[in-house]
Amino acid sequence: MTYQIELENINKYYGGYHALRDISLGIEPGEFVALVGPSGCGKSTLLRTIAGLEGISGGTLRIAGETVNDRAPRERDLAMVFQSYALYPHMTVRRNLTYSMRLKRRSKADMERSVEEIARITGLESLLDRYPRELSGGQRQRVAMGRAIIREPKAFLFDEPLSNLDAALRVHMRSEVRQLHNRLNATSVYVTHDQIEAMTMADRVVVMRAGVVEQMGAPLDLYDRPCNRFVAGFIGSPAMNFVDGIIREDGVSVRLDLPGEAVLRFAGARPAGETVTVGFRPEHLSVTMAATGGNILSLPVGFVERTGSTSYVLSSTTPEILLSVPERFPKEQGSVNAQIAPELVHLFSKEDGTALL
Amino acid sequence: MSRFKNTFSDGVGFDTILVMIALGYLVLFSAFPLVYNIVMSMQEVDLFSLASFDRPFVGLDNYRDVLGRPETMQIFFNTVKFVGFSVAAQLAIGFGLAMFFQLDFPGNTWLRGLFLAGWIMPAIVVGGVWSWILAGDFGVLNHILLATGLGDEKIFWLSDPEFALYSVILANIWLGVPFNMILLSVGLSGISEDVYEAAQMDGATRIQRFFTITLPLMRAQLGAVISLGVIFTLQQFDLFASLTQGGPSNASNVFQYWSWQLSFQNYEIGVGSVISVLMILFVVLVAAVYVRSTRHEHVA
Amino acid sequence: MRGNDVKRYGLLALALLFVGIYLFPLYWMYVTALKSNSEIFAIPPTFWPRDPQWIVMDVWQRMKMDVYLRNSLIIAFGVTVIVTMTGTGCAYVLARIRNRWMDAVLFTVLMMQVLPSSLMITPIFVVFNQVGLSEYPRLSVILAQAAKVLPLYIVLCRATFLQVPKELEEAARVDGNSRVGAFLTIIVPLARNGILVTSVLIFLQSFGEYVYSRSLITQRALQPATVGLQSFMGPNSSDWAGVMTYSAIYVTPILIVFVLLQRQIVSGLTSGALK
Ligand SMILES: Nc1ncnc2c1ncn2[C@@H]1O[C@H](COP(=O)(O)OP(=O)(O)OP(=O)(O)O)[C@@H](O)[C@H]1O
Ligand SMILES: [Mg+2]
Repeated sequence: MTYQIELENINKYYGGYHALRDISLGIEPGEFVALVGPSGCGKSTLLRTIAGLEGISGGTLRIAGETVNDRAPRERDLAMVFQSYALYPHMTVRRNLTYSMRLKRRSKADMERSVEEIARITGLESLLDRYPRELSGGQRQRVAMGRAIIREPKAFLFDEPLSNLDAALRVHMRSEVRQLHNRLNATSVYVTHDQIEAMTMADRVVVMRAGVVEQMGAPLDLYDRPCNRFVAGFIGSPAMNFVDGIIREDGVSVRLDLPGEAVLRFAGARPAGETVTVGFRPEHLSVTMAATGGNILSLPVGFVERTGSTSYVLSSTTPEILLSVPERFPKEQGSVNAQIAPELVHLFSKEDGTALL
Repeated sequence: MSRFKNTFSDGVGFDTILVMIALGYLVLFSAFPLVYNIVMSMQEVDLFSLASFDRPFVGLDNYRDVLGRPETMQIFFNTVKFVGFSVAAQLAIGFGLAMFFQLDFPGNTWLRGLFLAGWIMPAIVVGGVWSWILAGDFGVLNHILLATGLGDEKIFWLSDPEFALYSVILANIWLGVPFNMILLSVGLSGISEDVYEAAQMDGATRIQRFFTITLPLMRAQLGAVISLGVIFTLQQFDLFASLTQGGPSNASNVFQYWSWQLSFQNYEIGVGSVISVLMILFVVLVAAVYVRSTRHEHVA
Repeated sequence: MRGNDVKRYGLLALALLFVGIYLFPLYWMYVTALKSNSEIFAIPPTFWPRDPQWIVMDVWQRMKMDVYLRNSLIIAFGVTVIVTMTGTGCAYVLARIRNRWMDAVLFTVLMMQVLPSSLMITPIFVVFNQVGLSEYPRLSVILAQAAKVLPLYIVLCRATFLQVPKELEEAARVDGNSRVGAFLTIIVPLARNGILVTSVLIFLQSFGEYVYSRSLITQRALQPATVGLQSFMGPNSSDWAGVMTYSAIYVTPILIVFVLLQRQIVSGLTSGALK
């Protein structure tokens, strides 16, 4: 199996700053990979190293089987869509689209044909002779996409291409980009800080932090089985609740460090007396009338946010526990009982945050 | 070979070459003469030894010679006066005009731009025009002063030792005002109207607002303008050449003109270099302080 | 509402007064140029020519202005060519790359910018003499003046390049262009206006250059208009009509260019000087 893009122990330094640490990653042909992580974690840097816009300090980068460490960007045959779109302001849409073909001195007829096809795919037919400044944000985004796909490159690189669009258009473009990817059967690397975007679009999500890959896998795997506390907190919205706790004598339940010392059972077994961080997602806590019984938290209500479909209930404990309730929660209610299934309780090591179950 | 070509078309070689071309030119035609200047300031250089490479080394004799000359002190104080008065007046007038054109009235920016017409003119022409305006018998300035009663006798601006230096300063102020005004305008328009309104709500009078808001917020800009003013004033040569030639008897002479006179009229090139070296040192010092201070602004 | 209008037009009147006072020397130059020789020395002086004389042609020929202006043009043109050729790339790199080396280069360039011509001319004169450049006096002036204005050009152009987004160049490189190609087809066209205005500024400055020409060019036939003007203005000269006409002919094109490009020059100047 040859990977379309293969990174092997990639390291990158900016002066003394270690921006990418030992990154290894193989991307198969036709795969859509999303890179997510908090701001400054090195997503763009990684993408730009793949593109050749930044040099590599150590490791090997292969594209379609060939080592390209020392190749200039123009020799790598990749297409990139920038957050700012980077449309050439002094060229019309048509000339923007054909820029790369003109560099390769392709024939006029050839170019005409490609432009027509791309314009049809991206819906730009009537805009070909406009300048970028005469286009709306969404239209510019399409030109940027068009300029990338007209190349038929070995892979597409996207650096937060949708973050300059308004919310509605962003949701729409998400599915459009994904459909385009399917239709072209292209290989794509997609950088975003929006984990919803990553979860909905990608075949595989790579979570990065501080220049390190924390976990990679299918979107739902990351959601269900985060390998450490960071990924657990990063994937999923609203974020997972974390509370300290101590494993009880029975080894299959944990006492939470909360007023009332609630006890939660979990799926699996840990040594008794171990101190851990317990994690559970707001949407996995369901409100119940019962005051006692298995896996119930009794929480004093501190604050209620109602969005219409869902209410977010914040407890007045330390740390605060968030519940997401799929109904209108009464604002004046003083306390709430929430139940959680044992297999939805996560345990993480208190020292290094690795998942324990 | 291909790696070699690659770095020039795609890598750092490209940047290096572009920088090296300009830097090379500057080293050849600015830095090298600069160093050569220092060497010459310790040699005896005159018309005859000009073309030879083997000139008598005299150590710091030239420096002692310059410091010992009777006119040195006078010229030093002239230079200080020239710079001090020019910069102060340019700044005051420039600041006043900048604030005035900040007010809201039709055509304000366009009219403000007209001032730069003075700045774009060749200084030698400006000197010519001013020497006609300042002429003793038929100059229009004397006429205006007499007619309005501001003066009671003709002043021979350019040939009276009392006034010669101030004539050059006057023309230099005229040249420098536009630049000061434009730079200060940029700073002023960077202060948001909200701040003034907030101060007004707090009960600050117009004058209080100037001293508590405008001045402190303009500190960086004022620093820049003063440094640039000093630098440009020390570059001024053409006005001396066209107005007074440093005369009468050095009454309006300054170092940058004297240095040239020594080299090109007296052919005491070694001595001319001494002054050149000292003055360049001073100018570069001012510039370095200025550049350093703007750097800090950026970091903050 | 009305009170406000009165105030605004009052300010306008005041502004016109200030501009009038400031530009009086220019006005006086043009008026004098139009006066007859007897009117020039009239007491009291007339503020509007009674009997305008058009002596442009006479002055042009008598003072050999064609020769002088041609030399000025040659010098200004030569300087502009050298400066744009050597400076544009450097300005671009300085705008693009920030590291210790580039900071050092920028600092050097800024320091070179402030060296006064009248102080640099002494060593330049000697060096040029020794290497035999004094055989080509106009070329000497061009080389020296180019070194004088090159830093200013770099600083101002750098400000223009700073405004061109880095992503455009990167996009071009990913799209298959080399650094050189991206620079020439993307960056330079986008910075064209700034480069042009800065070049005009350099041209105008060199068109009025005096120190180097005065010191390096001894033959009359090779001297530029500044040195020419100076030679007609001896202490005992009384041909003020001629000198002012000469000045007017000389500066009028400069002023026209300035009025046409006023806005761009002002913005270019301010963006560069304070960075
Ligand atoms: N040219 C550079 N020189 C020095 N450090 C840099 C450079 N470019 C990026 N960095 C540093 O590398 C780290 C990673 O930057 P990068 O742009 O890859 O972050 P990112 O994950 O894309 O963040 P964002 O989501 O905000 O875009 C940051 O800490 C940044 O400060
Ligand atoms: Mg980024």
